[in-house]
Amino acid sequence: MTLITGLFWLALTVVLYAASRGFHRRFPSPWLSPLIVVPAILIIALLLLRVPYAVYNSESHWLSAMLGPATVAFAVPIYDYRQTIRRHWLPLVVGVVVGMAVAVFSTVLFCRLLGLPELVERSLAVRSISTPFALAAATEVGGQSGLAAVFVIITGLVGMVMGEWLLGWLPVRSNLARGALFGAGAHAVGTATAHKRSPEEGVISSLVMIIAGILIVLLAPWFSHLI
Amino acid sequence: MPPVHHHLFKFSRLILQVLVLIAIWLLASYVSANWLGGFPPLVSGIAFALVLLALGLLKREWVNDGATWLMREMLLFFIPVAIAVLQYREQLSGKLIAIMVVIVASTACVMVATAFAVDLAWKLDARLRGTAEEKDPS
Repeated sequence: MTLITGLFWLALTVVLYAASRGFHRRFPSPWLSPLIVVPAILIIALLLLRVPYAVYNSESHWLSAMLGPATVAFAVPIYDYRQTIRRHWLPLVVGVVVGMAVAVFSTVLFCRLLGLPELVERSLAVRSISTPFALAAATEVGGQSGLAAVFVIITGLVGMVMGEWLLGWLPVRSNLARGALFGAGAHAVGTATAHKRSPEEGVISSLVMIIAGILIVLLAPWFSHLI
Repeated sequence: MPPVHHHLFKFSRLILQVLVLIAIWLLASYVSANWLGGFPPLVSGIAFALVLLALGLLKREWVNDGATWLMREMLLFFIPVAIAVLQYREQLSGKLIAIMVVIVASTACVMVATAFAVDLAWKLDARLRGTAEEKDPS
C-alpha cells in the first residue's frame, strides 16, 4: 500500500511537471515556472489530504537522486568551452570570487540586521548558486536543504527580473560582465535569460554558475566556521 | 514525419547516455566516500567526467544528448526538495517579508558588484595582453 501511494505521488509529480512545462512554454511568465506551479499544487494537495512529507517522498526521492548525474552533465559544457575558459580566465575568476564573497557576506549581514534565525541565515547564504550545489553546501554550512532549495528558486526569479532591469542602466561594457552578472546572481534561471540576450552572455553565465557552485561546495566547511 | 523506429532509436540512445552519466556519478560517489574522505561527490563527479573526456576515454557524442536532457529537465528533480519546505512551516511563518528583503537586497549587491568587477578585470586583462584590441570580445 505504501509503495503504491509513494508511486502515485511520484507519478503525479512527473505528470504535473510535464503539463506545466507545456503550459509555461505557451505563457512564459516567470511566475508560471514549473518550479513554482508544481510545488504549489502538490503542497496544497498534501495539506488538504493531510499526507505527511515522508509519504510523499517515499518514492519521489528518486527524482532528487537524479541531481547527482545532472551535475556530472555540467562537465560537457565545461569541456566544450575550455577555450573560452582559457582565454577569459581572469574575468571569470574575478566574477566568481567577487560574486560569491558578496553573496555570502551580504546575506549574513542583512539577515543579522533583520534578526532572522541562524538556520534561515545559513540556508540563505548559499542561495546564489545552482541548486544541486546549494543543497550540498547548505547542509555543510549548517542550513537546511529544503529551505535552501526554495530560496534558490526565489533568487532565480528575482534575479531574472532584476538583472534585465539593472543592465538597462548599469554602465558595463563587456558581454563578459553582463553574463557574469546573471551567472553569479541568478544561477540557472539567470543563465537561461542570458542565453536569450546573446549566446556569449549565456556561455559566460553558465561557466560562472558552474565554477561558483564547485567553489562554494569546496569552501563550505570553511565558511561554516567563518559565519 | 520520421518512422517510429527512428524515435525509438533516439529514445533508447538517450536512456543509454543518461545511464552512462549515472554510472559516472555512482563511481564518483563511491570513490569520494571510500577513498577521498567524503570529498564532495558533486565536484569529483564533474572532475572525473572531465578527465575521461580529456583522455578521450569518453567521447562527447556518447553523452551529449543525455547531458543536455538532464540539464534541461533539472527543474523536475528539484520539485521533491522544494516540497520539503512543508516541514519548516512554523519556522518560516511571519518571516517571509524579511526573507524576501534579504533575497532582493543581496541579489542586487551580488549583481552590481560582479558586473563592475568583471568589467574592470576585462579591461585589465586587455591591458595585460598589451594589445590595442580593447573592445567587446563578442
